[in-house]
Amino acid sequence: MANRYLEIFCREAEEHLASLQSGLLVLEKNPARTDLLHELLRNAHTLKGSARMVGLADISAITHTMEEQLKGMECGERKVDAQAIDLLLRGADAVALITSALLRGEAPELDVERFVAEYDRGELGQHLTPEPREAQPDTPQETVRADVKTLDQLVNLVGELIINKKRLEAKLDRLKEVAYALPAEHAAPLTAFRGELEEDVLYLDYLIQELHGKAMGLRMLPLRTISDGLERLVRDLAQQLGREVQFQIVGQAIEMDRVLLEGLKPILIHLLTNALSHGIEAPEARAAAGKPHRGTILLSARHQGNSVLVEVRDDGRGMDPAGIKAAAVSRGVLDQREADGLSDEEALYLTFRPGFSTAEIVTDVSGRGVGMDVVKKNIERVKGSVTLASQTGSFTQVTLQLPLTLSVLDALIVACGGETFAIPTTYLQEIVKVRASEIDTMGSGEVIKVRGATTPLYSLSGMLGLTERREAGDLPLSAVVLKHCDQRIACIVEAHLGYSEVVVKGLGRQFRNVRFLFGATILGDGNPALILNVPDLFESGRGVQRAPVSAEEAQAAQRRLKVLVVDDSITTRTMEQSILVSQGYAVVTAVSGEDALEKSAEEQFDLVISDVEMPGINGFELTRALRASERYRETPVIIVSSLSRDEDKRQALQAGAQAYIVKGAFDQGMLLETVQMLIG
Amino acid sequence: MGNDNGYDIRTILSQMREEYWQALAEEESEAKETLECLVFTLGGKRYAFETHYACEVIRVPKLVRVPAVQSLIRGIFNLRGEITAAIDIRPMLGLPQPEIGATGRILVVRGDNFATGILAEAAHGVQGLCFESFEPAATGLPGTRAQFVRGHFNLEDGSVVLLDMEALLADPELVAGEA
Repeated sequence: MANRYLEIFCREAEEHLASLQSGLLVLEKNPARTDLLHELLRNAHTLKGSARMVGLADISAITHTMEEQLKGMECGERKVDAQAIDLLLRGADAVALITSALLRGEAPELDVERFVAEYDRGELGQHLTPEPREAQPDTPQETVRADVKTLDQLVNLVGELIINKKRLEAKLDRLKEVAYALPAEHAAPLTAFRGELEEDVLYLDYLIQELHGKAMGLRMLPLRTISDGLERLVRDLAQQLGREVQFQIVGQAIEMDRVLLEGLKPILIHLLTNALSHGIEAPEARAAAGKPHRGTILLSARHQGNSVLVEVRDDGRGMDPAGIKAAAVSRGVLDQREADGLSDEEALYLTFRPGFSTAEIVTDVSGRGVGMDVVKKNIERVKGSVTLASQTGSFTQVTLQLPLTLSVLDALIVACGGETFAIPTTYLQEIVKVRASEIDTMGSGEVIKVRGATTPLYSLSGMLGLTERREAGDLPLSAVVLKHCDQRIACIVEAHLGYSEVVVKGLGRQFRNVRFLFGATILGDGNPALILNVPDLFESGRGVQRAPVSAEEAQAAQRRLKVLVVDDSITTRTMEQSILVSQGYAVVTAVSGEDALEKSAEEQFDLVISDVEMPGINGFELTRALRASERYRETPVIIVSSLSRDEDKRQALQAGAQAYIVKGAFDQGMLLETVQMLIG
Repeated sequence: MGNDNGYDIRTILSQMREEYWQALAEEESEAKETLECLVFTLGGKRYAFETHYACEVIRVPKLVRVPAVQSLIRGIFNLRGEITAAIDIRPMLGLPQPEIGATGRILVVRGDNFATGILAEAAHGVQGLCFESFEPAATGLPGTRAQFVRGHFNLEDGSVVLLDMEALLADPELVAGEA
């Protein structure tokens, strides 16, 4: 909070300082222009007041002195001369120095106390750290500060350029057709002209690519910006859990789009928490297994092609495929027969299934504990994919493949249901031709063999609920084989129209809850094409042979997310409510467990946050009651409590809660992160 | 304080009050004359909303259908690089939906949350509609859902319904999937 106000103050100060500076310089040249004094006074006065508001005593003292000097000038008691103006400028410089240091979060390069004292006495303070630009005239400033918004706009504008260039290219093709249609003697000069134009467009293309690279570079930040906090997290967590761990980070300098990094952080926190609480064993157990006392967790990042690979690897107990299968069967994720058919590697991915992790152990240590399915969701949100590798007893490795940026994607353009769609190539395995005779039915669905593997076959237009045009007969159909985690599906499309680099445009707030779509792009002909969100297709495909998009389901996915906050303390209630509301959640509060049950029966909530100790039924009983009901069997529940014993956490888990936050450690970031991990 | 130098505070106050009311009345009578509205056809009838909601009126471009959204979102189009939705609000007003033909236009409007394009059968430009002919919606018009209608103007050549854009643009039915 304080930080935000500080930032606001610094921005305000910049404006006032700029106008002070320019006003003073004019005054220096024309000392007679005392009319300027009034405005200068106002600047100094406002600065003083604002500085007081945010508790910056030094700035308020300096500006107070400046104000006094200006007042003296205004009523004619003080001469308006070079020396007096110099003094005022020095004051403004000092304030600028302090605010810019504040913005960077560093100590100012100025003995502030001494300056304030001397400034108050009207001494020039020659000794103070000289102005950087005066002291080092031959090393000009190499960096400038830029607003993130401006950078985003810059990237958007470059995107527009790319689209425009595509339109030019489309026109070149048209010109070729025009030339073909002409008689040879007219065609020749046109073809020559077209050739020259093509060269110009090629050069333009090169320039735009360079520009795009530079513009994107401005938005890139090194992994270091988020990994610094992680070391602390691992250290604290290890201590709490009684583990001995060596945490290594490799590739801190790898750069990624700022937007992506923001999405990556909660994922990494989750994976590291998992590695510590489920992976690394207690020192004695490690010793008994003949492993070094200290466990190792390695976080590494490296480039691979057009993407970044981020790995979290621990040398702990690994994942046990048999155990995972058994757990999945007992939790009703799949039946025994299906489980037997899975390879050990496939079994690992069962942990991503929603039903699997609802019952997964709640690790409260870092204040949150949510299932791997949520991690997967978060990775999908940043267009990444995840692979798992593990050997029982020796290691677990989670590899995230992430795009460098979300603003430009490589995509396959396909025609489907009379429209054009772009499919990000990260999800594309291959394009195949399918003959009707090659399609088998299995259960109630259709399948084909792709490189020997039985792959479910869907019609893309059917999945999207668009009009279907599937011709009878044995004409080969075009299908795209999509991959996501360990799954493959094949989707029939009308035609594929080639690969293209597409500029991603958001669909805006009217479509913020839309399903199946990640954004849109604008094609060479100026028309938009929708970019598919492939993970949504897999989800839609999973329910065997149901209506492609059931109306209720689409609705459920697209509502504004609703949270029920249950607590008998008004402070906690209000606090949680305002935190959540500020992030766009719809919040309803309940004052007791009974009240919560009543309210939850009236409308459907996406998440319940509950206290434990309340008059009437307690939070555990409430959770159990919710779990027992048809409507709330799957709804995530977060317990926020001042009880911090392991016994309480175990009880919360048994009752069916997904996360446990201890009130003592309660902060707004933690609550939000947990909520976002659970329901987005 | 200053009674002896000839000022009568009561007179001054009542004078000020009079001036105040006069100014207010002037303002009102000025505003009362006409309301600047964009007039267009929906379901064969004339409708209008205040011009300040309108960004621009364009011919209907190629609309790209969006899967898995309610039918009133008829598609998206490229509005100079911004992806914008084209919506058919006629069902919300309980109106028939004749084909949008060659005279069809998209009225791009801006609400608090987003800009969107309203499909209309025709647009008739900006007109100053006379307040004197305005009748508030209490009577209700047959076949119209009253919640989005503020009333109608009885003009010489027929009536023009004034839409409540505030309510219309805030309606969750416009947001994909929230209907």
